[in-house]
Amino acid sequence: LPALNRRQFLKAAAGTAILVPGARAFAFGDESRFRPAIVQHGGNWNARPTALRRLCWEVAGRTSIEVYPEARPFDPEDRELFYFPFAYLGGEGAFPPLTEAAVTNLRRYLTYGGFILADANDGSDGDGLDASFRREMARILPGNQLTHLSQDHVVFKSYYLLDHHAGRLLVRPYLEAAMLGARAAVVYSHNDLAGAWARDEQGDWEFEVSPGGEAQRETAFRTGVNLVMYAMCLDYKEDAVHVPFIMKRRR
Amino acid sequence: MISLSGFWRLFAFLSWPTPALVAMVVLSAAVLIAGPRVLLRALGVRRARIVAPVARIVAAVFGLWFASGLLVRLVAPKADPLYDTWRIVSLSPLPAPVIAALSVVAAVMAFLARGSLRGDSMGPRRRLATMLRVAVALALVLLVTEPGRRLLQTTRIKNRVALLLDKSASMGFPEKPGGDSRAQAVASFLSRSSSDLSRLAQRFTLEFYGFDRDVEPIDSARIADPLDAKGGRTDILGAVRSVAANGASAGRKLSGVILLSDGTDNVELHEGLTSKAKDALSDLGAPVDTIAVGSGGLRDLAIERVAVEDFAFVRNTVTVEAIIKAHGIPAQTIDVVLRREGRLVATTPVQLNWNKDTYSAKFSFIPDQTGQFVYTVAAPIFPEEAVTTNNARSFVLKVIRDRVRVLFVVGHPSWDERFIRGLLRQDPNVDLISFFILRSSGNNPKVMREDELSLIPFPVNEIFREQLHTFDLVILQNFAHRDRAYEMDRYLPDMRDYVHEGGALVMIGGENAFGEGKYQDTPLGDALPVEGTGQAPTTENFQARLTPEGRRHPVTQAALSAGEAERVWADMPPLSGINVTRAKPGAQVLLEDPFLNVDGKNAPVVAVWDYGRGRVMAVTADSSWHWAFPALASGSAVRPYDRFWGNAIRWLVRDPQLTPVRLQADKAAVEPGDAISATVSAHGSDYGPAPGAQISVELVDADQGRTVARNQVTAGPDGNARVEFTPPAPGPYRIVAHATKGETPLGDAEDAVAVRAAGPELSDASPRPELLKAISDATGGRSVELDKASLLDLPLVDPEVVEVGQRRDEPLWDRWYSLAIIAGAVGLEWLLRRRWGFI
Repeated sequence: LPALNRRQFLKAAAGTAILVPGARAFAFGDESRFRPAIVQHGGNWNARPTALRRLCWEVAGRTSIEVYPEARPFDPEDRELFYFPFAYLGGEGAFPPLTEAAVTNLRRYLTYGGFILADANDGSDGDGLDASFRREMARILPGNQLTHLSQDHVVFKSYYLLDHHAGRLLVRPYLEAAMLGARAAVVYSHNDLAGAWARDEQGDWEFEVSPGGEAQRETAFRTGVNLVMYAMCLDYKEDAVHVPFIMKRRR
Repeated sequence: MISLSGFWRLFAFLSWPTPALVAMVVLSAAVLIAGPRVLLRALGVRRARIVAPVARIVAAVFGLWFASGLLVRLVAPKADPLYDTWRIVSLSPLPAPVIAALSVVAAVMAFLARGSLRGDSMGPRRRLATMLRVAVALALVLLVTEPGRRLLQTTRIKNRVALLLDKSASMGFPEKPGGDSRAQAVASFLSRSSSDLSRLAQRFTLEFYGFDRDVEPIDSARIADPLDAKGGRTDILGAVRSVAANGASAGRKLSGVILLSDGTDNVELHEGLTSKAKDALSDLGAPVDTIAVGSGGLRDLAIERVAVEDFAFVRNTVTVEAIIKAHGIPAQTIDVVLRREGRLVATTPVQLNWNKDTYSAKFSFIPDQTGQFVYTVAAPIFPEEAVTTNNARSFVLKVIRDRVRVLFVVGHPSWDERFIRGLLRQDPNVDLISFFILRSSGNNPKVMREDELSLIPFPVNEIFREQLHTFDLVILQNFAHRDRAYEMDRYLPDMRDYVHEGGALVMIGGENAFGEGKYQDTPLGDALPVEGTGQAPTTENFQARLTPEGRRHPVTQAALSAGEAERVWADMPPLSGINVTRAKPGAQVLLEDPFLNVDGKNAPVVAVWDYGRGRVMAVTADSSWHWAFPALASGSAVRPYDRFWGNAIRWLVRDPQLTPVRLQADKAAVEPGDAISATVSAHGSDYGPAPGAQISVELVDADQGRTVARNQVTAGPDGNARVEFTPPAPGPYRIVAHATKGETPLGDAEDAVAVRAAGPELSDASPRPELLKAISDATGGRSVELDKASLLDLPLVDPEVVEVGQRRDEPLWDRWYSLAIIAGAVGLEWLLRRRWGFI
């Protein structure tokens, strides 16, 4: 995949400028737009502060989803979280246990239709954020443990047809998910997706992507777009009308 | 002399003079006493030693017989007008064991008397003495048993024989081609058989009945007149059961049933003689003799019956099978057609052959509309057919939804779309077809090849033209019809027509909906209950408020009771802005923005109306998902959003449970000559009963579309009213009700009714002699054709029932001669024994 050239960068910057609203917080329709929430756990919850804005920018540019790109941080106890059905839970290193109220609120959030994208920004596996997140997931959805998300899952075809998953790193080449019925309510990446998305004010990528370079970054974006699309359209791409097309393309 | 009964008839033929009987008894006694061997030798018979014992037995039997006859002659009573029969009985007060014991003593005494003469070589003496002793013993037994003569007054009751005459409509057809009617042929037969009937009447009580669906007695004096053959059904088993039961209560036994019929049963024996029917017939315990009327040759093509389910699912294949009977129609191919209220639905060719009379015509079609419809299967009419009204048969098919088929078209994925889709997808009653525009013309997905994407082309023509009619409901959510990529403007007239013809539409707000989407300038704008004001959408958060109409309307019943629903709506999370619209005249605003005023009224948030035969709902907000997700943040178990959309879909697709006026015909198919009747239920706008509602009901000829009858009724306290129309001509009809309460219209309702041209009786009028034979075989009767029938040859059970009225007992033992016999026998024996030196 081609890397961004200067012209593309300028266009992207201009797009970002247009998308970021000015004085008025909401226009008509904004409430139904995609605007991510960030879960403020007790640890380093905002390790990739620019990543979600960049993801929103990509989602707006690549798809018809309308976005409100300023992610909104939330105390997990806050019921206002319910106005943001897509929440991002990331961070570097371990975080302390959530309060009981937060656990209850998040459980309700997920049960009634909310979606959490968890992302180990530290690439941890068995320690750091990974250990803390797994500990809290066991409290939030005690009967619904994280499992390996099959390659057949609609997340991998909700917009892009993906056959692999990667972020800034490639700790584990797959996603995990906690299922509520047929719906993946929580999707968890070990690979620091946000690290691949993060871009600074000057338009430079904040982190190198390894081992796959820019192609891997594009995969991270495509994964992000698919996850947003999945959160908003659910299993739309599993409707009968799509199946023959997708099977033909995957062949 | 009074006639004898029972055993004593054996002697009835002994009408010889008494001296002759006495002489025979004396002769028999002489043979026994003298010893037959001596006599045989005297007569020169050889081998007398062998013949003698036989002769002795013969003499003893004859002697006893004649002696008994003599006895009967002696004891027989004189003629008495009061008594008609008599019998010998014992008048002894002694119990039977005592009498038996005394009899044994008498027998022993007789035996001992024989033993006392054993030494005597004179055989005749010994035999005479033995006979005398036996006579004494018998006389003593008589004394003990005290025989008497019982005079009886009896009445004879004749058993019943029921003659069942078919008077169903099929008996009106000719018995043979060009001949008299079957009913006429039966009358002629009975007229010819009058002497046979008289002879039968001597043995049995004859009862005459006419039957069709019911049984009624016929005056025996009028049986030679042809019956009025008009009955709508033939129920042979019912008739036989009924006549058998008739006399049972009077204790009169049935000796048999003589059935005169063509056998065209169309009730229990329609499918032939089932084992259950066989059991019922054999329970009668009497033969059913059948006389088959009609010898075929009828020319008729008939749709005998139509096999179809009572209801079908819309847009699913329905199969209809018509059973066709053809008699006397030349071999050829005929076209059998299926029509829906005058419109041709399907045609099936049927090949008629000379060696077959039953055919099947199958039709398959896909109903595209829900409701009740009259369908008619029709076959061509041939010249000189016996019945032409049975060439078509109508039935009513109720077409219902299996699931509500919803087309969900979304301009941009959004949270509003996410929660509606989530809800509809989990509803098992909804078949959801979604089309989301995932990439618009300005998007760049940054792919080298299109097949890196899962996107499919938006099949605009297919869904908005070819398939549109297959959807029960179309939801347009923030959908930009002006996007050139799919040229939606071409399809908007189709969508308007779809709604007008009975479809349902929901438009949900957004920057591409209502006025912002310029819908008011399009044909589809006509179908919307609201119109844009030109005012920019609002952005303020507000709590949607239930309007007075909303409190009663089923769509906004977010809870079980109206009061609770109001509270639920008041507790809902706020919405964030709406497309500013005004309600059109005739629209009902259910939820409004309490702070936004448009032309002096609050701006609608949810508005509904009926457009043509369809229904439309407008939701001007794009954040109704706040009722779905943020509303549950507190963990409330109430799901008002689910209830709101569930109600809305049911109302939009006219769920029968949500219609304020309901109409239900009593019978979907009415036989010729029967009235059409129906119940109408009127409900107010609050969906409670509407007592006193004025309901005008019309009967509309569905073929012609014209009203043939009108009726005006008033709803009772329960909101219900009955309506009845006099029997109309055969054909498909729609009953249409329109209810008003005061000046307020409550709504309309309709149902369909088929008035049949030919009842089951005429659907197949060909004679069924094989059924009649099966009935006779099952009951031990005989089946004969009318031409060859003789009433006297038919098997009938013949026992007579005798009832005793009065009785009188007369003793016989205290006569002078009985004492004289005893004294004489004892004296003579004593005299002889003394003379022969035994004493």
